[in-house]
This record gives sequence, C-alpha cells and structure tokens, in this order.
Amino acid sequence: MGRPLDLFAAASPEGAWTVSQVTRRARAVVEAGLPPLWVRGEVSGFKAWQSGHWYFALRDKAAQLRCVMFGRDNRRLPAPPSEGMQVFAFGQPTVWDEKGEFRLTVYELLSTEEGGLWKLAFEKAKAALARDGLLEPGRKRGLPPYPRRIAVITSPDGAALKDIIAVVGRRWPIAEVVVLPAQVQGAGAEDELCAALASLRRLAVDVAIVGRGGGSKEDLWTFNRERVARAVAASAVPVISAVGHETDVTLCDLVADWRAPTPSAAAEAATPDQADVRAALEQLGRRLARGLTTRAQRAGDLLARSQDHLVGALSRRLERLSDRLAAHGAHLDALSPLKILGRGYAVARDVRGDVLRRVAQFAPGLAFRLRVSDGEVPARTEPS
Amino acid sequence: MTPPAAPDPQDLAAQLERLEQIVRRLEAPELDLDEALKLFEEGVERLRAARERLAQAELKVKKVLEHLDR
Repeated sequence: MGRPLDLFAAASPEGAWTVSQVTRRARAVVEAGLPPLWVRGEVSGFKAWQSGHWYFALRDKAAQLRCVMFGRDNRRLPAPPSEGMQVFAFGQPTVWDEKGEFRLTVYELLSTEEGGLWKLAFEKAKAALARDGLLEPGRKRGLPPYPRRIAVITSPDGAALKDIIAVVGRRWPIAEVVVLPAQVQGAGAEDELCAALASLRRLAVDVAIVGRGGGSKEDLWTFNRERVARAVAASAVPVISAVGHETDVTLCDLVADWRAPTPSAAAEAATPDQADVRAALEQLGRRLARGLTTRAQRAGDLLARSQDHLVGALSRRLERLSDRLAAHGAHLDALSPLKILGRGYAVARDVRGDVLRRVAQFAPGLAFRLRVSDGEVPARTEPS
Repeated sequence: MTPPAAPDPQDLAAQLERLEQIVRRLEAPELDLDEALKLFEEGVERLRAARERLAQAELKVKKVLEHLDR
C-alpha cells in the first residue's frame, strides 16, 4: 500500500527537495551511520589525475565501492597500487554531492601482500636502474686514499653529521669537511638531496658521504626514491651511502660506490688513519735511504770493475758525485731514526771539495764552503 | 730546487704519491747515480713537508648553502 500522492505538495517549490538537499542529507546520514573504517578489497580501475588525486574502486565478488584518495594523503605512499592488488583501505564512507555517488574517501592504503606498496615501488625502481646499467658492479669507483675535501650531504642538525665530523677529526684531520645541508625525510627531502648531489660537480671535493641516522621504513624512504638513486649514480665524485640501518638495503646503497652501515662507518671508509700514514712515511723514508745507499754502492762496484778503461771518463764525474754523496751522508744519518730530520748540521769543505775534519786543515785566511741543511755558504777563516 | 710540477706542500695526497714514485724509481736498478741523488734530495724534502703537514693538521668544517638557492 503506497501512501497517497500529494500532487499539490509535490509540484510546489516548497514541497519538493532540491537535488543538493537530498545529496547533502544522504551524506549526513551515511557519515553518521558509518564512521571511518577499514575496508578490504581488490583495486580496480585505478587512475591518478593530474591534480595528484587517485580514483579507483575496491571490489569483491559481489560489489564494488568507489574510492578517492587525495594528493595530500597519497603523497606519503611510495607508489600507487597496481591493478588487482589486494589492499586494506582506511577511510570515511560518504556521498559525493556533485556526482550523487556513494564513495569512500581513503586516508590510508596498505597492501596485504608481503612488503606491499613499499616493496612494489622498490622493485619497480630497482628494475629501472638495472635496465640503465646503474647497478653494474663495474661502475663502482674506488675511494681516494688520501682525501683532501670530503662532502657530507645530510641533515645539518642530525647525529649523523656529528658522528662523521668526530670520526674524520680523529682519523684524518688533514681533510676539510664540506657540509651540504639537506633534509633527509619529509616533503622536500627528495629535491634537496638531488640538488646537493648535483652541486658536487661544482665543488672541488674528492669523495662524498650521503646519509642519515636510523629511522623507520617511512623515514628512510627518500633514499629509496629512484630520482635520488639516479642523482647518486650521476655524482661527479665517488659516493659513500650511509643510511643508518643494517637490514634493508636502499636503492642509494645499491648505486653508491661504497655502502656503509652507519654514518661513522662511512667516515671510516672515506679516510685513512693518520697513524697508518705516519707509519707509511717512516717506511718511505727508510726505503729512500736504502735506495740511495744501494745505488752508491753499485756505482763503486762498477768503478772498480771498469777502472782500466773508464777511469778518465768516470773519475771526474764520480768526484763530483761523491761530493754530493758526502753532503748527503748527514741526510742519511738523519733519516735513520727519521725523527730528527731537518736538525741543523754543517760540513766544511775546501775549494776542491775535500771535507775539512781537523783544525789543522783550516789555514788562516782559508776559503772554504759550509754545507748546511738547505744549501752551501761560502766562508773563510780569520787571517792570522 | 723543486721541479715545476711540484705539488702544493699542503696537498698530502700529492706528496705521498710523489714520494712513492721517488722511492720506486730509486729502487729501480737501471737508475743513473746523478738522478738517484736528485731523487733522494727531493724525497727528503717531501718527507719533511709531509710530516710537517701531518703535525699541524686540524679539521676544518665548512657549510655550503649555495646549492639551495638555485
């Protein structure tokens, strides 16, 4: 039994509802009756609009639910869902006045698959990098053994920067640390990291460290952005990636020339230990001394062997050389403990170059030459 | 005294590289004695400069902001 039709009321402007009134009322009823909730379903008909908003439907065997996820909410996600993906969506059921459509305004979207959207985005970007040959082990550049300037791209107030400066200061204070501040998470982090990496080209640095301390998967996600990874690969100097987490490898780690588990480890990879360098210098000094001694010894042997026919030709030259050898004898001595290099000493020689060792050799008014550490000084004894 | 291509004495990397080169050449058997003396002289000087540089090292930290105002 239908209710009797009130023709007069229906036909009058006062009696009929406007479309807007009905949809507004429907929205109020739906929103009051259905609080924000989780919905499980399969993604279908996904479309991302220029505006940044995503439109799709969730469906199961029997029904479908239109969904919108606005740009401000989907920006946090690593990638859009793929067609047919099983997801959980959290949102507010509502009525969209303009289209008179029942739909879900989605705030959060999770894939039910292992790793979900994050894994999907990671694998997609990784495949793109691999296609361009950026993951080839042969691309990796060696790190400079004695860096002069080390660029550090990280947050200016993070612990990572403090750790890096402390380690470089202890191991290799010869270097200069050039800090390129960049946000490492949140909106703008991607742009800032890319800009900092690109500007390495204009700075005379030998190596760069890019990274941050540990954080959640979402916090670290900037280092999984394909654009950031490409900027690392395109860097003008070798890059050490130091994203503070040991388990998950980021895209930046994969393309970097060296992967360090923490910022401190990155600083260690970038620098030699000054104690080792000191030891290497001592070793070089010893080899230097030994090299010359051996060479001089060989010259003497050669002379003895070829005396008969070479005396004339070699003696003048050897005389000259033996003078210099004598002058360097002091150097060789100074080298043996090496610690007293540069200590003052002098050798007096007469005009023929013979070394003057005794008082008796210094006649009054005798002109002689004094060999000191950096050259020779002409000298003369007092006239009688 | 130093050859024209002499590295900056502050540049330890270049000093070390040159020192290694000098020692390797000094250890080569076919080296002329005169040349050996020259190399030794240069080596001693570089060793001194490198040790001095290590002794006076003090970490410098500089912040670069130029890349942000592109």
